Amino acid sequence: MLYNAHFGIYVDVAMSVEDKSKSLLPFLSSPKLLPDESEAEFQSGLQSLLSELDNPSPLAVALVSQLNECLWWIKRHTVDKELLLHEAMARLLSKAGSHSETYDNRKVSEALERYLDGRADKDEAEWIDEVLAESKLTLSDLRVRAFKDAAKYIKMVDDLIHRQHQTIRHLQRSIDSIDYKSRLIKRMDLELAALESKQSVKGALSLDDKSS
Amino acid sequence: MTINPRRNLANRCNALKSTGPRSTAGKRASSQNSRKHGLNSTPDFESSLEYRALVDLIAEEGFSGFVCADIAAGLLNYRRVMDAYYDTYTSPEPVDEFMRDMNVMASIPIFRELLIPSGSEPQDVKEMATFFTHMQRQERRKGGPVSRRSADSHKLIRYQRNGIARLSRAVRQG
Repeated sequence: MLYNAHFGIYVDVAMSVEDKSKSLLPFLSSPKLLPDESEAEFQSGLQSLLSELDNPSPLAVALVSQLNECLWWIKRHTVDKELLLHEAMARLLSKAGSHSETYDNRKVSEALERYLDGRADKDEAEWIDEVLAESKLTLSDLRVRAFKDAAKYIKMVDDLIHRQHQTIRHLQRSIDSIDYKSRLIKRMDLELAALESKQSVKGALSLDDKSS
Repeated sequence: MTINPRRNLANRCNALKSTGPRSTAGKRASSQNSRKHGLNSTPDFESSLEYRALVDLIAEEGFSGFVCADIAAGLLNYRRVMDAYYDTYTSPEPVDEFMRDMNVMASIPIFRELLIPSGSEPQDVKEMATFFTHMQRQERRKGGPVSRRSADSHKLIRYQRNGIARLSRAVRQG
């Protein structure tokens, strides 16, 4: 039997567990990446997590792929914190100085980015230095002020990161529970097998006694 | 295409006179304006193919029928939340750069030019300037694209919390 869901699950009953787990991947972890993100990096993270699974059952694979996505979100939100600071710095700069009417926020943001990377042309660098001097600020002062301004949003991003950590904790507990369950089943199977073999040995001995 | 600030301002002034959509299609489109993520609606997972495929796969791991159904629904629900989270994150409310960067005081002569010929009073020009200042303040308060997407994503935290708790509970019950 073949299921062909529109999300892309292809599951054949004759498949091995590992193949079934793989068939779940496009559905549960089809990476929804941003244009500048690397799919190879995302997949390598997922593969390294999957390789640590003792028992790669479909459900465990599904949970691990969710866990990988959480880690990816944490990475995104960490970058966002730096972007928020940059946004606030650009806003402060565009409001400061006597050129505030002629420079719009986007221009300032791009100029500041180049300035911080050391790629700014002479005019841009001079303009930023001039605005900083007029406002009696250094670059680190500007950063501190920007941090104050963006504190509300930085706190929001911290909450988002915290949420991902909590989700990871839930997923880990779930994976542990599946692992524990499978171990328990294995152990019970072994005990049952041991009991059966004991029983058969006892049966053989009693037959021997009777015959002698 | 270059945006003429004067034309842009005139369009916005005329838009203020609008009383909303008139056509059926326009009304249908605007009725969805306040819809954000759709996570408050009750989903029907049971009739989907992916739900049945998941239930069958999970059943092979030795879970009972009820637990399989719970886990599959929990997993699909969590995916639904995370997809909405991604959509919210990638499409925040766009920044109205014109409104954010416009110089309201310098636009007063343009307001005058636009309003006086249609018989408006000088007081109306002043009110128009006050209105635009208010709109600009609101626009600036929302911050840039990163602030907006952070604020929008932050609203989905509770859905994530409930989604993962439901999934985790279903798995551990089994």
